[in-house]
Amino acid sequence: MRFSDLISLIIDNLGRRKGRVLLTAIGVVIGTAAVVTLVSLGAGLQKSATSNLWGINDLSSIQVSPGYPKYEPGMSFNEADIKKITPAVIEQFKGMKGVKQVIIKDNIRGGSLLKYGKMEGWGNFNSVSVPDIKDLGIEAAQGVTVVEKGQVILGSQYKNNFYDPNQKPGKEPEQLPDLFGKTIDVQFIKWDNEGNQTIRRAKLEVVGILKESRSEHDWSMYINNDEMLKVNEWIAGKRIDFSKEGYNNVVVQAISPDVVVELAKQITELGFQAYTPQEAVEGINSFFAIMQIVFGGVGAIALLVAAIGIANTMTMAILERTREIGIMKAIGATNNNILAIFLGEAAGIGFLGGIGGVLLGWAICAVVNALGSSLLASGGGGGAGTQLNAIIPLWLPIFSVAFATVVGLISGLFPSLNAATMVPVDALKYE
Amino acid sequence: MSNTSFVRVSDLYKIYQMGNQEVRALDGVSLELQEGSFNVIMGPSGSGKSTLLYLVGGLDWPTSGQIEVDGQRIELMDENQLAQYRREKLGFIFQSFNLVSSMSAEANVAFPLRFSGVKKAKRLKRAVSLLERMGLKERIGHKPTELSGGQQQRVAVSRALVNNPSLILADEPTGNLDTTSGTIIMDLLKELREEGKTILVATHDPRMLQYATNAIFLIDGKEVTEENYKKTIQQQG
Repeated sequence: MRFSDLISLIIDNLGRRKGRVLLTAIGVVIGTAAVVTLVSLGAGLQKSATSNLWGINDLSSIQVSPGYPKYEPGMSFNEADIKKITPAVIEQFKGMKGVKQVIIKDNIRGGSLLKYGKMEGWGNFNSVSVPDIKDLGIEAAQGVTVVEKGQVILGSQYKNNFYDPNQKPGKEPEQLPDLFGKTIDVQFIKWDNEGNQTIRRAKLEVVGILKESRSEHDWSMYINNDEMLKVNEWIAGKRIDFSKEGYNNVVVQAISPDVVVELAKQITELGFQAYTPQEAVEGINSFFAIMQIVFGGVGAIALLVAAIGIANTMTMAILERTREIGIMKAIGATNNNILAIFLGEAAGIGFLGGIGGVLLGWAICAVVNALGSSLLASGGGGGAGTQLNAIIPLWLPIFSVAFATVVGLISGLFPSLNAATMVPVDALKYE
Repeated sequence: MSNTSFVRVSDLYKIYQMGNQEVRALDGVSLELQEGSFNVIMGPSGSGKSTLLYLVGGLDWPTSGQIEVDGQRIELMDENQLAQYRREKLGFIFQSFNLVSSMSAEANVAFPLRFSGVKKAKRLKRAVSLLERMGLKERIGHKPTELSGGQQQRVAVSRALVNNPSLILADEPTGNLDTTSGTIIMDLLKELREEGKTILVATHDPRMLQYATNAIFLIDGKEVTEENYKKTIQQQG
C-alpha cells in the first residue's frame, strides 16, 4: 500500500465520523493546552524571578567574610574565635585550585557628607584592591572604571543620594545636574569618645558613572584604594595592621562558574563565610525546573485522560467496523495494512488535538500576558516587581504536537492490534 | 476448460468447540476443481458449504487436511502470504454484498487495488470500466445505500474482478436478491467462467445447478451423492 493512499484513507475514515473525532480530539486539545499553558507560565515565572536577580551578573564570584563562631546560649564572645581574613589567608585563597584572583574590598569606617552646589548627599565610599573595578563585573556608563587619587566613580543611582537641605515645602526641588566630569566636595567625619566630630575635607573629581546593575554597586561610590586606607587610618587614628584585624570583605573569583560551588565549599570548610550567587541561581533554577515538571505533569494527567478517550473511541470504531476489517482482509489487506490504518487514525486524532491544544494554549498565554501587563499598568507600580508572564519556548509547540500524536498512537495501539489480528472469517460474520 | 485441477482439497476437517459440544463443520471433505470450471456447492444451512468456501479462500484455517490452489498449499501459508494470495488470485462475492458504506461504487470497486499499490488514476479507470461492463455507468458516484440490492451485488462482482483473479469464490451470491437480479448475477458468473475463470459458488439456490459444470452436495459437513442429497432434503422439507 502506498503511503499517500494510507494517509488519504486515514483522512477519509476520520472524516466519516467527524462528530466523534471532534469530541475525542477536544480531550487532547484540553490536555495539550494545559501542558502548553502551564509550562509557559513556569518558564515566564522563572524568567521573571531570575531577572529580579539582575545584579547577579558575575556567577564566578564568591563573597567571603570573616567566620564567626556559631552562637550558643550562654556563650561568651571572644575575639580570638573570629576567623579573620588576613593577608596570609588571602595568599591561601590565591593558592586554591580554580581561583583566578582575589579582590579585597574596603569601605569607609566613619561618616561622610557630599556637597555639590546647594545639594548635599551621603557618601557610600568603597574601594577595591585591584586597579580596575571592572574586575567586579561592572561596567561604566560614562567615563572610566579606573580610579586614581582625588577621583571618584559614582554608582548609577547617585542622584538619589542628593537632596537640598534648604528645600521649602511647596517649592519645586532643585535638580542635580549630571555630575560626570564635575568635582564634588567631600567631608569625612570622625567622632571621638565624647562625641566631638572632626572633619577632613577633600575634593573628588567624578571620572566615571557606572551602568545600572541592580546590585549594591548602583548605590556605591568607588575611590582609590590607597586613599581609602589613608582616610580609614585617619578615622582610626592609627596605622591599620591587616594581619591582626583582617579584611571585612573579600571577593574570590573563580576561573569558571563550574568550580564556584566547590570553591565556596572549601572556603566554608576553612571557617570563613562564603556566599556565592551561583548557589542562589542554581537553587532557583532547580526550583523552577521542578515546578515546570510538576506543571507539565498536571497537563500530562489531562492528556492521559484524553488518551483513555482515544482508546475508547478507537475500540468503539473497531467494533463498529469489524465487518469492514473482514472485507479489507478478504480483498487482500495485510495485518500490517489494518494496523497502519487504525494506528494512523488514532495518531491523527492525537495530532489534530495537539494542534488545537497548541493554538488554545497559545491563546491562553496571550490572554495571561495581556491581563498581566494591564494589571501592572493599572497598579502603576512599575519597577522590578514579579510579573505574571507566560513565555512559550520554541520547542514547546513542536514537542506538544509530537507528544499528543504519540499519545494517540499509544492509545490506539491495543485496539489496532486487536483489529489487525482478527480472523477474517470471524470479522466478516460479525453482526 | 482444461483438465488440470486448479483447486485440490483433501481430507479437510474443520471442527469447532461450542461449549462442551464438538461441531464438525467439515468432516473429511475431498474434492478437485478443474481450471475454468463452474462449481456449485449445494447444501442446506449448516452443511459446511460456506466454511469450505472460506477455507479455500484462506479466510480461515482448517483443523486438518490440505488445500492446494494453483500449486500452492494454502493451509501452510502465513498471514502475509495469505493476504498476497487473496490480493492476487481471488475475488470474493458475498450474500450481503459487503460493500464499504461510506465509499462510492467506484471507490468500492477500486478499493482492493489500494492494497496492491496501484496508482489512483489507474485503479479508478479500471473500476469505471468494470462498472460500465456491469451496466452501472450512471451509478459510479453512488453510495451503496443509494443502490438496489441487484446493483450492489453487481458492484461487488466488479470489486471481485478488479484484480483480475483466476478464482472467484461466491457465498450465496443470489441469497439476498429477487429472481431477476439473481439471474443477472448467475449469467455474469457464467460469462466469467467462459472467460476462463474458475468459479466456486456455495448456494442452496437449485437454479445455480443449470450453470454448473460440477456440483458438490454437502450435508452435515460430508459430501453426499445428488440422490442422497435430494432424499435428505425431501425428508427434512
